[in-house]
Amino acid sequence: MSIGLSGVGYRYAGETKAALLDVDLDLRDGEVLGVTGRSESGKTTLCLVVSGLAPRTIGGRIRGAVRLDGEAVDDWPMHRLSQRIGIGFQNPATQLSQVAESVFEEVAFGPMNLALPRDEVVTRTWDALAALRIDGLAERDPRRLSGGQQQLVAIAGLLALRPQHLVLDEPTAQLDPAGTRLVADAISRLAADGGSILVTEQKTDLLAATCTRVAVLDGGRVAIAGPAESVLADDRLPRLGVTEPSSVRLRRAIAAAGFDEPRIAAALADA
Amino acid sequence: MPDLAVEGLVHVYSEGEVRALDTVDLHIAAGEHVALVGQNGSGKTTLVRHLNGLLRPTSGRVLIDGADAASLTVAQLAARVGLVFQDPDRQIFSGSVRGEVEFGARNVGLGTEARREAVQRALRATGLEGQEATNPYDLGGARRKLLALASVLAMETPVLVLDEPTTGQDAAGVERVREIVANAAASGRTVIAISHDMRFVAEGFERVVVMRDGRVILDGPPSVVFAAASWAELGSTYLEPPRAAVVGDRLGLGSTPTDADVVAGLGAASG
Amino acid sequence: MAGSARLSDAAPAIGRDAPDFLGRPGPSAVHRLNPLTKATLAIVTVVAAVVLGGLIGPALLVAVAVVLPALAAGVIGQLGRLTVLLALPIAVSALLINLFFFPGGTTVLFQIGPITATEEGLAFSLEILARILALSGAVTLFYLTTRPSDLVIDLERRGVSARIAFVANASVQTVPAMVERAGQITAAQRARGLDTEGSVWRRIRGILPIVGPVILGSIAEVEERTMALEARGFGRPGRRTLLWWPADSRAQSVARWALVLALVGLIVARLAGWLP
Repeated sequence: MSIGLSGVGYRYAGETKAALLDVDLDLRDGEVLGVTGRSESGKTTLCLVVSGLAPRTIGGRIRGAVRLDGEAVDDWPMHRLSQRIGIGFQNPATQLSQVAESVFEEVAFGPMNLALPRDEVVTRTWDALAALRIDGLAERDPRRLSGGQQQLVAIAGLLALRPQHLVLDEPTAQLDPAGTRLVADAISRLAADGGSILVTEQKTDLLAATCTRVAVLDGGRVAIAGPAESVLADDRLPRLGVTEPSSVRLRRAIAAAGFDEPRIAAALADA
Repeated sequence: MPDLAVEGLVHVYSEGEVRALDTVDLHIAAGEHVALVGQNGSGKTTLVRHLNGLLRPTSGRVLIDGADAASLTVAQLAARVGLVFQDPDRQIFSGSVRGEVEFGARNVGLGTEARREAVQRALRATGLEGQEATNPYDLGGARRKLLALASVLAMETPVLVLDEPTTGQDAAGVERVREIVANAAASGRTVIAISHDMRFVAEGFERVVVMRDGRVILDGPPSVVFAAASWAELGSTYLEPPRAAVVGDRLGLGSTPTDADVVAGLGAASG
Repeated sequence: MAGSARLSDAAPAIGRDAPDFLGRPGPSAVHRLNPLTKATLAIVTVVAAVVLGGLIGPALLVAVAVVLPALAAGVIGQLGRLTVLLALPIAVSALLINLFFFPGGTTVLFQIGPITATEEGLAFSLEILARILALSGAVTLFYLTTRPSDLVIDLERRGVSARIAFVANASVQTVPAMVERAGQITAAQRARGLDTEGSVWRRIRGILPIVGPVILGSIAEVEERTMALEARGFGRPGRRTLLWWPADSRAQSVARWALVLALVGLIVARLAGWLP
């Protein structure tokens, strides 16, 4: 099962310049695809297009084809698409519905909207909370949680719709290191359970730790795409405005100074 | 240029009994560059808000150049201590970049000519020159953050406090912030930066103060705070040392908080 | 939508896996009354206070429809404090005006210089006071014993559209967040030298830098919030499943109708001149 973009272009309503151009990209089942690039290179736009919010909810003009398992989904309404693809954003607080007084009700919001039978709503909610190991937060007021916890609640709320794919747009951008770790671990766990996830991030260290493939955007186009390890070590990254992962940068600095021993390579490897 | 001190600083928020600051003693000499690190809730934000009078001590004192800050209003302190907040969307109100950058400079009483020059310098430093007439909301989120930084830079305060300046920035943005901090050093300004980016901290600051639960748990140069002996303390508050420190330790090079330190260490070891 | 909409239904029996903290019951029997019942009581009391003439009627209303339930609910202290806060200014001015300047006041009570306090004036001001107490008391009692989300969920299960219910609920719940946002904005502007402690003129000039971002920031947030909602199926037309709703009973339904009929009877009696 997969999401496939072919020749996709997108222009926001009221803009003259295209935010995405000629994008060919696949999100395959069971993989974590990292997307990075300088500010305004199209990362968020890509997320909106893949999830269907662009153009359904925000308008704008889309070209090319977005296919779900080979099937065109242009005429699917958002509430149908959200059951196949979930999308999360960087601000944890704006994703809260504001009408739930407990985490349980917050996560149940999606299934409730779909008018599923009550038992189904309850089961899905518990399952989503369990997948993210936040069952213990069920009774808490979502508005009083830490940023990292709120992000997990937001992701659980998406999982309750039982999508096959998750799109997360810079999920750790506004979190402290503890929150970043919480979310990064959750992503790894979901991937290990077979989930298919597209995550955009500036933090290439995080991408190095969680992704199988990485794509780099530049000016709305895909500049590089391939296995995570090789893309993140590509020497075009600085030119594309992307911060290299710490170990890559360090390895380069060491190599540039002329040191090259096996024990250095061993020390640089992730423990 | 004033030096700053807090003595026996305690702060308890009126809603609870939690001591956001639990007896903090800190002295920052004029012209020092200090990074303040710690998880959300460790007291970093509470501490810096005492420096410009937004918060007043529950007990203890805040001294600016030996004088008690209690006798000065926030507006008066703002001319000495410029604080850049994290969320630009919680301060931007002008319809133009220029209007936004001028606001603070005008408030602290810079004369017309001095103001014009200060605004130009600030726009140049943040890469926003040429955008004077642009509506702030037509800039992306990362550039709006730089705009907020510019609006405080233009106030030309002797002390500059930055709350998470690199969060949400791409490589180019981080580089700009780095340069701004370095230039402030050159002109003798005191810079205090709250940051989660350990690499940014290790490479740009001569002193690191680590906080946990309202107290200072580590205080020293990066070579001490990120040395292996401190890792347990860092870990107790879910912070990780920069990669360079870990790799350098594995290679037996002593304390190497930055990439350059690792290279230098290798050179010393071989030479 | 799960569950029927018949009034005689108790709240749905909590399913085998649903957590038991859903639909937290209130601390007293009054809190646990259905929101519609409490709303009916408040509205009827308010209208009756206006319709009833004299002093005895409104005073009885205060005693029976405000004080008694407040005692039963254990909120009499809070009710008293809020009523003083809200009603005191109006009550005091009404009292003073009527005590001294009531037209048709002849029986003198006492004098302060050229102004005279009359017995008729005193009687009238007490009537006004009783009415004010009944009005503010009824509304405050409702506010103190009913959670906004309970009322909205109850209305939704009775047929109000899910979208309207959501907007009503979210608007109320967002108020604390808005207040907090305004606080953050004020802090950021003060950090840039905005003077909030100076002259009145300075403070007026300071309104735009505070109100501006509150509005602009909220608008900027709306699009993001909308997207997040749509991503969770909010746009789907029709009813949605509710996990719980406030309990109702035949007895309460009867009581509501009885209250409404009593009010109608009162209005008729008033119009027909059978009441003072």
